[in-house]
Amino acid sequence: MSKKNKIAIFFFFLFLVTGLSFYFGYYKSSYKNIGNISAEVEISSSELVSSFMVNEKHANSIYRGKIIEVVGVIKEITFVNDRNTILLRGDNTYSSVLCDMKLNQTEEIKKLRKGQKIKIKGVCKGFLKDAILLHCMLINTQIDE
Amino acid sequence: MNKIIVLLVLLIHLTDFETTSDQFITRQGQISFFSYTSVENIEARNNQVLSIIDISKSEIAVSMLMNAFVFKKSLMHEHFNESYIESDLYPKATFEGNIIDFDPLALGIQTKIIKGKLTIRGITKDIEIKTTIENNNGSYLLTGDFEVAVQDFDIKIPPILAPNIAKIISITFRFEYQTYEK
Repeated sequence: MSKKNKIAIFFFFLFLVTGLSFYFGYYKSSYKNIGNISAEVEISSSELVSSFMVNEKHANSIYRGKIIEVVGVIKEITFVNDRNTILLRGDNTYSSVLCDMKLNQTEEIKKLRKGQKIKIKGVCKGFLKDAILLHCMLINTQIDE
Repeated sequence: MNKIIVLLVLLIHLTDFETTSDQFITRQGQISFFSYTSVENIEARNNQVLSIIDISKSEIAVSMLMNAFVFKKSLMHEHFNESYIESDLYPKATFEGNIIDFDPLALGIQTKIIKGKLTIRGITKDIEIKTTIENNNGSYLLTGDFEVAVQDFDIKIPPILAPNIAKIISITFRFEYQTYEK
């Protein structure tokens, strides 16, 4: 094999590998297919908040960066900064679970009401005053018309 | 003894009342940062920034999760969290400051300087930020932008990626505060 060919093959594989890593990386980060990935943990919103309140470091080691399913009662729905956000009640009035919803969920979110019990799947990012979940989507939610 | 308890309870209630009425909160503040170079532009946004302002003391506090920044490309997100910010070690960035000459009662728009301390990766720097404050009769909107030097926070960028990342990162913020109800 000539040197030229070797170089060509080398670059071909280099591009292939970087291309693939970008492709998979992109999907990994944007969680476009979060619906197809099963959650690692299922928990109620009050339990999630209380575990962060008791020991944030320990809770981070369990939940941070993981896809989790949270069941809770809607405290508030907001549309600040063009984001759809659902707050689920925590074990106290001070803290809640803040779910940043994927934008394809807008129609479903508009049908939700305060006080309704729902299930949300998302990626847990950590805790400030509330537990924060990104890339969230509603799961099997019965809509009361 | 009873009187003392009553007095204590009263005092706690009074102070509690005072702090709640002077504090405003946002749990959905927005911070974006931009890195412009000739090679590529990098942009990320965090929509879950927590901030509280105390209008009687003109104090502001901000806290955010570094891994809650959303990037267009996942590789950027990965590099940012794993190599540059090391968000496992330093999950939060914080800012504490004072709004200089802030008049909480003036309605409409005022432009002020916030002097404070910005902490990223456990490194604290003094910083001054110009902000526009809009008082809409009981709710406050703070917006503005400022710049941060990558070097100031000891962020190590490998030489091969140096041309891709700006030395100075521009940051914009938008905080809509509501009355703090516990």
